[in-house]
Amino acid sequence: MSVGEAMRVLDRERFRLGKAGLGLSLALLAAAIFLADTYTDLEIAVAVLYVAVILVSVWFDRPAVVLWVGASSAGLTILSYLLTPRGAEHAGLVNCLLSLIAIGATTYLAIRIEAAEARARQARAELAHISRVTMMGELTASIAHEVSQPLAGIVANGHAALRWLAATPADPAEARRALERVVADADRAGDVIGRVRRMVAKAPPSRETVDMAALIEDVLSLTRSEIRKAQVTLRTDLADDLPPVIADRVQLQQVVLNLLVNAAEAIGQQETGPRDMLVGAATDGERVTVSIRDTGVSLAPAAIERIFDAFHSTKPGGMGMGLAISRSIVEAHGGTIYAAANPPRGMVFGFTLPVRAATAERNHG
Amino acid sequence: MADEPPIVFVVDDDPSVRDGLDSLFRSVGYAVAAFGSVQDFALHRRLERPSCLVLDVRMPGPSGMDFQAELAGMGDPLPIVFLTGHGDVPMAVRAMKTGAVEFLLKPFREQDLLDAVRAAIERDRARRAQEASLAELGARFATLSMREKEIMAFVVAGRLNKQIAADLKLSEVTVKVHRGQVMRKMGAATLADLIGLAGRLRR
Repeated sequence: MSVGEAMRVLDRERFRLGKAGLGLSLALLAAAIFLADTYTDLEIAVAVLYVAVILVSVWFDRPAVVLWVGASSAGLTILSYLLTPRGAEHAGLVNCLLSLIAIGATTYLAIRIEAAEARARQARAELAHISRVTMMGELTASIAHEVSQPLAGIVANGHAALRWLAATPADPAEARRALERVVADADRAGDVIGRVRRMVAKAPPSRETVDMAALIEDVLSLTRSEIRKAQVTLRTDLADDLPPVIADRVQLQQVVLNLLVNAAEAIGQQETGPRDMLVGAATDGERVTVSIRDTGVSLAPAAIERIFDAFHSTKPGGMGMGLAISRSIVEAHGGTIYAAANPPRGMVFGFTLPVRAATAERNHG
Repeated sequence: MADEPPIVFVVDDDPSVRDGLDSLFRSVGYAVAAFGSVQDFALHRRLERPSCLVLDVRMPGPSGMDFQAELAGMGDPLPIVFLTGHGDVPMAVRAMKTGAVEFLLKPFREQDLLDAVRAAIERDRARRAQEASLAELGARFATLSMREKEIMAFVVAGRLNKQIAADLKLSEVTVKVHRGQVMRKMGAATLADLIGLAGRLRR
């Protein structure tokens, strides 16, 4: 098994096994190298292969782990040299030293890479967070509406209950039904607040099993009033057989939110014509595709090409960050984001995520 | 008819708000008919009773404002109390100008809502009473003979019996008799009453 192959296998297995499994795989690989190194002649520098173990250990996202793996590899190399029964002493010593230099240099570089990646990850998370909070700010009116709706229900039902109880004769059955609606509305208001809190939470990047349809419904519930304000007729077509994707929930919510708000604005910008939006989610078993079609303004092909670039906005007052961040999030999940015209009018924006996001964890932010 | 409670129509797409309003208005003694959309409401046959409409401004499909314009276009005088989740001043101004009774922001105060509904129902009741009395007046006027109508026109114009008699080439006694009939049939006690009734008929 070549080093590249081993890495690819590890890469694939990583999501299945999780970090514990990855650690075990690395330990087995290290043990195999150690045995090969010990049982082959001194002239054969098998110890150089520890470099692979160190590179793979970068996936743990922790410099301390990389350092520890590097040190262990060096220790094992020396141990092998001492235990190897056959071969030329001199060549063996040179090989051993070369291996140690390679291991040391690789460890140093791996830690540097890891630190740079951590910083990039951090910066991306900050940027995404800022953009998310900004967007939630823009949605304030919509969110206020989502809260005022259950509050109106509570006011009406609460007073109704009091009146049913104060009536002569009192009507406890009516009062009870009204109170049940009060409780349901209070829960509903609480849910809205919870969703907002989760959206603006500065949560560390995480990976969890995400039900895409539920996530879309969640975002829709926060934007419903915004969509309504643009007098958009919203339809959803969410397949019920969507496999779960392994993803960062908050970040994907942000992407969906961004595309939804964009679509609503695109429709809101035009005075006449159809005002339809179709939010779809489908799967081919290996990928989940989310698409948002609108009948708003169509963009020219040249504009579509640049639409995901940072600081490129087609909206008056737009920062031009929303789609750029969305793309970086989707790509960090091993997926692709796309935009196209939606003949006869409007646009379709969407993204595709692998069901097993193979190369995501290291890059996400 | 008078004993039957006024009807409050509620149109709100949010089921909980709709049910809550339904329960609230029933608890204060109104009859309620609640609908999830203006289309549903438009299909509903309305009874001839004092009523008003409590309407959410922003709903999927035609908005409350559109519907208000539509009702006004059809000459439907149903008083409307608007509810909205958005504090939209231009919208409120437009609604009030087009004759809305009240424009309340969700979450509303219960008393404000009940006051607005009461005012709206009163407005509808007053309009119905006026229409009914006008209809009755028209019916009374219809019982007058041609000659009586003619004489009523002269009387209301302020001409004296003598002058009318001269104009129509009748005896003053005949004019007096006709005039008495007009007063009786129109239910007017004084000349001022008759002038008032004639004024309403003319409108």
